[in-house]
Amino acid sequence: MPKKMSLKKEKGRQEKFLLRAKIISLIRDFFCKENFLEVETPSLVKFPGMEPHLDPVKVSLPILDGRCEVYLITSPEYAMKKILAAGFRNIFQICKSFRGGEAMDELHNPEFTILEWYRAHADYKDIMKDVERLMVYIARNLQKKTGDNLKLKIEYQNQEIDLTPPWEKLTVREAFRKYAKIDLDKVLSRETMAAAAEKKGYVISKDDSFDDIFFKIFLSEIEAHLGRKKPTILYDWPAQMAALSRLKRTDPRYAERFEVYVGGLELGNAFSELVDSAEQRKRLVAERKLRKKLGKVIYGLDEEFLEALREMPPSGGIAMGIDRIVMLFTGAKSINEVLFFPASKIF
Amino acid sequence: MASTQDIKRGVVISWKNDPHLVTEFEHIMPGKGSAFVRTKLKNLKTGKVLENTFKVGEKIDLVDLEKRKVQYLYASGDKFAFMDNGTYEQFELGVEVLAGFEKYLKEGLEVVLLFSDGTPITVEFPKKVSYKVTEAEPGVKGDTASGRVTKEVTAENGLKIRAPLFIKEGDTIVVNTETGEYAERAAE
Repeated sequence: MPKKMSLKKEKGRQEKFLLRAKIISLIRDFFCKENFLEVETPSLVKFPGMEPHLDPVKVSLPILDGRCEVYLITSPEYAMKKILAAGFRNIFQICKSFRGGEAMDELHNPEFTILEWYRAHADYKDIMKDVERLMVYIARNLQKKTGDNLKLKIEYQNQEIDLTPPWEKLTVREAFRKYAKIDLDKVLSRETMAAAAEKKGYVISKDDSFDDIFFKIFLSEIEAHLGRKKPTILYDWPAQMAALSRLKRTDPRYAERFEVYVGGLELGNAFSELVDSAEQRKRLVAERKLRKKLGKVIYGLDEEFLEALREMPPSGGIAMGIDRIVMLFTGAKSINEVLFFPASKIF
Repeated sequence: MASTQDIKRGVVISWKNDPHLVTEFEHIMPGKGSAFVRTKLKNLKTGKVLENTFKVGEKIDLVDLEKRKVQYLYASGDKFAFMDNGTYEQFELGVEVLAGFEKYLKEGLEVVLLFSDGTPITVEFPKKVSYKVTEAEPGVKGDTASGRVTKEVTAENGLKIRAPLFIKEGDTIVVNTETGEYAERAAE
């Protein structure tokens, strides 16, 4: 009776690539069985994501009568939402996304493979279940044996992680209380958050925004605890960090957003999608303003996307990093072990 | 004024009014937020080690350190002796200052000592150091786990390192002290 999955932690480089192909094929199987439609959306776009801290790659595209400045997508989110608005219910996509301005380290490659899916008439709680079931589906089918003896424990970087649902679900508020001994409800403004951080000995400058101080505490005191024995779903983020998610009806100080952590890897980010076009426009304008302040490239709002939100049903959606999922199941410490041609070796 | 891009291992920054040596650092990009540098800092006054996360772009104060080129002489117990060949001054460093890098020392190796207020606080190693191989078993099967066929060899200073199968006793190999890995065979 195998105690753990038959995937050993030490593995040849070649075997990692065989597993990579197998995992991607299992992901397609999973969504096919769930009656999801696989879609393809453009890599070249006029209006890339407005996330303030991302640096989209600019491309000079030769066209018949000259050149046209376009961008590579940082995620396929806007286009997939247009497809939802057009009436397709459950859709998924596996595609490359591109982010400049980031270090090429063990967790980042400027082009990486995203798995993104949306469920119409659903919310982030449904997506949490999808994530659990998808990961279990991959784990089960990577094992050579079948039957009742299957165990859902995997080993990653000398940790044993039990993938059996339900996973650990922590609100961001609970995580702050548990690991940083801070009551997040009381520090939801920039000033109160700064005061709490300074009391703990953090050095806070005038330029630090609420998000910056939040992350200083989160990265120093909280992140390392997440997803260690079981995967952790960290949910209900402060409204300031809602991005493209809707606020909680019962408590609009928080947004229906979650992140998934497994064994030190952040695997994905999910939302109950915001379908209020006016609110979305407000957020995009604010983000563009912040981009300008940060000295980032500025571009227009995707009006078609804003228009589509009027037709889009309430939906849940998520983007997960396939390279990191492969790292987890192959025991790879670095993303470079699961890419044939890591960018750090090319550039 | 310096910024977070100047943070690396061995740099000393002035932080909360005390000099702190950066012993470890790591870049973090939460994606939805700005980028950060997570560091381990050793307070050079109290010896206390703590962690701090800097936002990328944050201003920091670098402490200027006096640099002296010295030659490694010998070890006695947990102490390592170096000499400035210009002034013939000798310095002794404890194993805690070398922090794992003592294994790369060999007699005559030139390194740079960094001083704060007259006390040597950290060592800059050359990125590449060559060593004569004193032990290398011929024709072993090697370890194929990493997909690269390697075997363990022993260098003149006792350093054990994984090297390709073709390396034999008497060869000179170059070791990368930043990654701790075999880099190449030196041309004779």
